[in-house]
Amino acid sequence: MRSAENIEKLVKNLDLGIDTNAQTDQAVLAELLDAQKKSMKQQSAFILQNIRRFIMKSPITKLAATAVIIALVVLGLFELTGTESTSGVVWAEVARKVQASLGSIVRCRATTSFQPSDETDYSIRYTSQRYSRKDVYKAGQITESYYEDFDTNTMTYTMTYFNHIHKHYMSRTFNKNKNEFFLEQHDQWMNPRYLVQRILSGEHRNLGQKTIEGISCEGIETTDPAALGPLPGPINRLEVEMRLWVNVETGYPVLFENKMSGEAEGKSMESEWVMDQFQWDVELDPSFLEPNIPPDYVDMRSL
Amino acid sequence: MLEDKVLIWKFKCGSSNALCRIYEKYKKDLLRLAAILSNNVSDAEDVVHDVFVSFAQSAETLKLSGNLKSYLLTCVANRARNKNRANQHRQTVGLNEAEPVVSQSKTPEQWMICSEELSRWSSIMAQLPYEQREAVILHLRAGMKFRQIAQSQGVSVNTIKGRYRYGLTKLRSILNGEVKK
Repeated sequence: MRSAENIEKLVKNLDLGIDTNAQTDQAVLAELLDAQKKSMKQQSAFILQNIRRFIMKSPITKLAATAVIIALVVLGLFELTGTESTSGVVWAEVARKVQASLGSIVRCRATTSFQPSDETDYSIRYTSQRYSRKDVYKAGQITESYYEDFDTNTMTYTMTYFNHIHKHYMSRTFNKNKNEFFLEQHDQWMNPRYLVQRILSGEHRNLGQKTIEGISCEGIETTDPAALGPLPGPINRLEVEMRLWVNVETGYPVLFENKMSGEAEGKSMESEWVMDQFQWDVELDPSFLEPNIPPDYVDMRSL
Repeated sequence: MLEDKVLIWKFKCGSSNALCRIYEKYKKDLLRLAAILSNNVSDAEDVVHDVFVSFAQSAETLKLSGNLKSYLLTCVANRARNKNRANQHRQTVGLNEAEPVVSQSKTPEQWMICSEELSRWSSIMAQLPYEQREAVILHLRAGMKFRQIAQSQGVSVNTIKGRYRYGLTKLRSILNGEVKK
C-alpha cells in the first residue's frame, strides 16, 4: 500500500520522458517568429531597436550579449583580494576615493569588430552621484548624447537619448518592479565610479610603476572575467584583459585599458576600450546633466 | 533566473533569438504539463502551440512580475482548462474508458514524442476529475503553491486544497489498485 506522501513523491519525481519532433519544432518556431514579427508594429520596433541601441551602445556591453547586470561588489571584498602593494597605492582606498568623488569626466575610445569604426571618434562621459551624461563626438561635433538619471528614492532609472544629426530624441524610465535589471546599469564596470571595484573583484595582479604622460603611476591588471560581474548569457571563449593605472600622488585613476574577445550568439567579437583624460572630484552643474529637449527635436515614438 | 530576465528583455526588444531560446528552454516542460492535464496529445500540442504563439505576439504588452517558467506554465494550465471545458464530455471517464495520452492517434506529424511512462500516467490521471487532476499536477509537477493555483483560477485556497486532497486520495486508490492486480 502506498501512503499519500509516497504518492506525492512519485508524482513529483515522475520522469515523463518526452521529446519533440525536430521537424515540427522547426515549423512551430517559424510560425512563432512570424507571429513575433507581425506583432511588432513598425513604429514600436523602431523605438525598441533604438532603446536597445541606446542601452547597448557600448561595444563591450554588446560583446557580453547584453548589459552586465547585477553588480554586487562589496567593499569588504577588497580586504580578501590582497592587492595592497608595498609601493604606496592602497587599492581599496582608490576604490573608496573614486566612489566618493563628487563627479568625474572621462574620455572614452572604443574599437570593435562589430561596429563601424568611423561611426564615432570618441565620447566624453560626465558622471555625478546620481546623473550621467555622455556626448559622442565625430569630427569635433557632438552627434549623439545619452543622459541617465538613477533615482534611488523612487528606484527608477531614466535614460534619454538624443540624435543631434537627425534631431531625434527618446526617453524612457525603467522601474525596479518591472525592469529591475536596468537599474543595475548604474554600477556596471563602465561607470568610472565603479571600475576600480570591478577590477578588484576579480583576481588581479600588480603591474608595478610606470610614467604615463609625465605622471608617476602604479597599475593593476586582471584577466579574470569575474571582474565583469555575472554575465547575462553564455559567452564562449571569453577573454578579458583590464589594466588600470593610478596616479601615485593623487590616488586617482589616469588610464584604463580593456580588451575583450569572445563568442556570443554564434558570433565572434573583439573590442578594445580606453578611458583616459580623467578628471576627478569635479563639481558638475546639475543643469548640465539634465536632458533639456530642444523644441525642434522630434520624439522617436512619433516617427 | 538571470538568463530568463535577459531573455525577456531581449524578447521585448524584438529579438528572435531570445524567442527561440525561450521556446527551446521550456517547450518540453510545457508539453509535459499540457499532456498530463489534457490526456490527449493533439489537445496538448494545440495548447502549447497557442501559448507560444500568444507569447510571441505579446512582446509589447508582456508584463512579467514573477518568473518566466511559472508564467508559461500558468498559461498552459489556463488554456488546457479552457480546452477541457470545451470538451466537457472527456472530463471524467471510467477506468476502462480512459484513453492513454499517446494512444493510437500518434502520427509522424505529431510534435511530441511520448514515452510509455507518460502514456501510463496520462491514463491514470484521466480517471481524476479535471479540477482534481489540475490541482495535483500544478502543485506537484509545476511546483505551484496552492495560493498561486487558487489565484490563477479565481477560487479560494481551501477549494484548491480540497481538490488536491481528494485527487491524491483517488490517485492513491488507483495506484494501490494497480498494485493489487
